[in-house]
Amino acid sequence: MSRLSFRPRPLDIHKKLPIVKSIKDFEDDETPTSTRNAQILRLAAEAETEVHQIPSKKVAPEIPTPQFVVVDTYERDYSRTFSQPTSYLRGRGARAEIGEFVEYDLDNEDEDWLQEYNSERKILLPEKLESLLFKLEVLDHKARERAGVITPTLGSPIPVLLQPDAAIEALQALSIRYGVFQSIYNYWKEKRERWQKPILRRLQPPPPVNDTNPYNVFRPREKAHRLHTRRMQRRENNVQSFEKLRQVRRNLDQAKTILEALIKREEKKRDVMESEVSLQRIQMKYKHETELLEDSLALPGFPPFPCKFGSSEEEFVDSDDVANSRLHTRPAALQNPLFMDSKPVMISSGGMRRELRGRHVPHGWLHKMDPLEPVLLFTKPLDPEKLAAAGIVPPSPSPIKNGASAPPYKFHGRIGRGGRLVFDRWNPLLHTPIDCGDSFYMPPKPRPSTYN
Amino acid sequence: MGSIEAPASAENGSIPATCAINGDQRYAPASDGVPPRPSYPAGMTPETDALRKRRSSILPLEVGTRVLCRWRDGKYHPVKVIERRKMHAGGPNDYEYYVHYTEFNRRLDEWVKLEQLDLDSVEAVVDEKVEDKVTSLKMTRHQKRKIDETHVEGHEELDAASLREHEEFTKVKNIATIELGRYEIETWYFSPFPPEYNDSLKLYFCEFCLNFMKRKEQLQRHMRKCDLKHPPGDEIYRSGTLSMFEVDGKKNKVYGQNLCYLAKLFLDHKTLYYDVDLFLFYVLCECDDRGCHMVGYFSKEKHSEESYNLACILTLPPYQRKGYGKFLIAFSYELSKKEGKVGTPERPLSDLGLLSYRGYWTRVLLDILKKHKGNISIKELSDMTAIKAEDILATLQSLELIQYRKGQHVICADPKVLDRHLKAAGRGGLEVDVSKLIWTPYKEQG
Repeated sequence: MSRLSFRPRPLDIHKKLPIVKSIKDFEDDETPTSTRNAQILRLAAEAETEVHQIPSKKVAPEIPTPQFVVVDTYERDYSRTFSQPTSYLRGRGARAEIGEFVEYDLDNEDEDWLQEYNSERKILLPEKLESLLFKLEVLDHKARERAGVITPTLGSPIPVLLQPDAAIEALQALSIRYGVFQSIYNYWKEKRERWQKPILRRLQPPPPVNDTNPYNVFRPREKAHRLHTRRMQRRENNVQSFEKLRQVRRNLDQAKTILEALIKREEKKRDVMESEVSLQRIQMKYKHETELLEDSLALPGFPPFPCKFGSSEEEFVDSDDVANSRLHTRPAALQNPLFMDSKPVMISSGGMRRELRGRHVPHGWLHKMDPLEPVLLFTKPLDPEKLAAAGIVPPSPSPIKNGASAPPYKFHGRIGRGGRLVFDRWNPLLHTPIDCGDSFYMPPKPRPSTYN
Repeated sequence: MGSIEAPASAENGSIPATCAINGDQRYAPASDGVPPRPSYPAGMTPETDALRKRRSSILPLEVGTRVLCRWRDGKYHPVKVIERRKMHAGGPNDYEYYVHYTEFNRRLDEWVKLEQLDLDSVEAVVDEKVEDKVTSLKMTRHQKRKIDETHVEGHEELDAASLREHEEFTKVKNIATIELGRYEIETWYFSPFPPEYNDSLKLYFCEFCLNFMKRKEQLQRHMRKCDLKHPPGDEIYRSGTLSMFEVDGKKNKVYGQNLCYLAKLFLDHKTLYYDVDLFLFYVLCECDDRGCHMVGYFSKEKHSEESYNLACILTLPPYQRKGYGKFLIAFSYELSKKEGKVGTPERPLSDLGLLSYRGYWTRVLLDILKKHKGNISIKELSDMTAIKAEDILATLQSLELIQYRKGQHVICADPKVLDRHLKAAGRGGLEVDVSKLIWTPYKEQG
C-alpha cells in the first residue's frame, strides 16, 4: 500500500469529520485527485479480497483450544437443589462472618494422618477433624489478636499462641474425648510449626510489599492512590518538604536581589560608556588643534609619549574593547582641558596648554576645522623626503573619477600604526570621499622619540 | 497449519512418517504402549548399531535442544526442550521433557515422553548461546523490538528483560489439569499456587466458591458442606439462564484470590502481584437447577487512574467460542456508560484478547458509521460508546477508514466497505440487554 506523498496533519478528536458514504463521492470532486481516487478504489478492492484473506491469514496461526472432558461424577457430586429466586440474588456476608461454616478443607497430609490414626478402628470422622482444625486455627488467631501480635505481612514465622488448656475449654461443646483432642492438637501444632504460618488461607498474612519472590502473591498495595508524575510522587506534605520549599524561596529572593543589583551596575556601566564616547568625540575635535599647538611651541618640558605608542603592539587596539582603548588614549585625553584628572601634575600641564590654546583659537580650528574631518589617532604623517629616497610615489588622483562634476580626490598619505604606508581617498571613519581641497586636515606630526 | 512431516532420514532412507493414520486426536498416554516411531515403522528396520550409538550419545536431551515431537494431531512439530525431569520409576537416563512447540503459543507447552520425540531430528548443538545472544540486553532497542515482534507473539508490549524474567519463572506449567464443576480442563499456563500445592499436577476446584483441593475425595467432602450455589456477590444482570454477579475483592478475599489462581492458569500475562481488595470481579454464569456455573469473568479496578474499565478477562475453555467473551467486553463498556466514563482494557492484551477487542470495536463503531448522518468527531464516537478515543482511532485507522484529503481527515463509510469489515469482525455474540442491568457504580455504593 503506497503512502501518500504528504504527511497528514494530526487528527483532532474534537473536530467533526465528514463521513463519506460512497467512494463515488471522491470521484465527483472537481479537483484532479485521480491518483488518490485510484488509491481509494484500490483500497476498496483490497477490502473485498481481504475478506477472503483474513480468515486464512489470521486463523492459520490460531491454536486449537486445549481439550476438556466432562467429569463423569459431576451429576452425583453436585446436587440439583438450586432454584433461582425471581428477584436478583444478593450477596451475603463473607464466610468468615457467618461463623458456623467450616472454611477449612482437609489436605493430603491431614487425610494421611487421619488414616493412620483410624487404622485400628474408626475413631474420628474426617468432617470432625476438619471442623476441629478450623476451630483451632480461629482460636489461635483470636489469641494472637488479643496478644496484639497480628502482623500485617508475612515477615517472620508465626508461632502458635493457643494453649491446649484454653483450646479444650473453648471446644467443650464439641464433646470430644480428651485423648482424641490431645492427638489432634499435637498434630495441628506440629503442622503449624512446620508451615510457620496459619494453615487456614484466610488467616495467612500477605507477603511483604517488597518481597520479590514471584511465588508469593497478593501483596498489599503500598498506596492506593498513585500520583501521575514522578515529581508528584516525590512531593509530600510534611515539615521536611516545607523546609525545602522555604529554602527554595530564600534562594529565589536572593537571586532576585542579585539580579536587581546587576541591572543597576549595567546601567551605570552604560552611563560611563556614553560619557566615554562623548568624551572621545570632544577629544577628537580638539585633537587637531592641540597638535598644532604642540608643534608650534615645541614644549621643552613636555614628557614624551611612551615608546610603545605606535609600536606594532598597537595593531591590536582596533579589535580590543573600549576599556582597552581608553587606557591607550589616556595620554591624549590628558591634553584635554575638560578632562578632570585628579593627578596634580597633569592638571598643571593641562592648564598650561589651555593658556597656549587660548591664544590660537581665533585662527585655528574654530572656523576652519570641519567636524566631519576624521582624526585618525595613532597615525603619523608621511615624510616626503623619505618616500622619495625609498622610491615610493604617492598615487595620483584617479583619472576616471576626475570628471567635470566630481571634485578631485586627493590621496592623503600617512603611516599606519603598524608602520604601513596608507594613502586614503576614502575616509575610513566616515566612509565618505575625502575632499582635501578644502580640508584643513593635518595629520599629527611625528614625535621625535618614536619616529626617528 | 504449518505442521511438518518428519523428514526422511538420509541414513537409512526410510519412508516419511505417516502418523496421521493414528485416528486418535489426543496423544496416546504412555500406558498405551510405545507408538511406532516415525522413521522406523514397526517391524520394518531394526536399529543399526550406529544409530543406537548416536541415540545414547544424545540422551538424555539437554535443555535447549531442538527436535521434532509428535503432537496430539498425530503429526510431528518442531519443539524446543524447556525443561526435563527424571521419571518416577526409571533408569538414570529416563527423563520426560517439557517442550515448547515453536509454531504455537506457550499455552500448548507440555510434558512429553521420549517416545514422542523423533531423535533423528535432534539438532546437534544446544543453541543456548544463540538464544542468549538473541535476548541479550546489549542489543539496540530496535533489534530487541524486532525480536520481540517476530519471535514472541502476544508479548509486544513487554520489554525484553521483563519478558525473560516472566518466561524463566513461568516456563513450566505446574498444574496440568483442573476439575471445575462439570469439566476437566487442560490448563494453559503456569499459576503461582501456594507452595503446598507444588507437588500436584491436578487440582479439584469447587465450582461455586472456587476452593481448590488436591484429591477428588476432598472435593466431594467439600461439596457436601459447601453452601454456595453462585458467586458470593450481588447479581446485577439476568437474562434467561445468563446471570452476572459482582464480587467485591475486599469483602470476599479468598474467593477473589481463588478466582485469580484459576484465571492465571489460562492467562499468560496476568499478574497476581497485588491483592484483590482493589478489584471488583464480574462473574458470568449459566444457571440451572444445580446452581450458577461460571463461564467466564472480568475484573475491574475500583478506582482506575488510567481509565481502565477492565483488568483481566477470561472465558473458561469449555465455554469458549460461544460469544461469552464478546458479551463480557460489551458488558464492561455498558458499566462504563453507566458510570459516564470512557474506558479501555488494561494492557497488554493477550493474542485472543486483542482479537476479541478488535472485533468488538469494529462492530460497534461501524454500526454507528453505517447509520450516522452528517459529520461526527472521534470524541462524539467516544462519548456514544464509552470506548476511549485512542482505541477508536486505532481501530478506524487499522481498517483504513480515516482518509486524509484536501487538508482534512474524512471518514470513509462506503456501506459495501463497512459490511465487508463487519463480516470479517464476526458475529456480535450474546447481546447485553441494558434494561436488565441493575447496578450502582462502586463509587456510589454506600
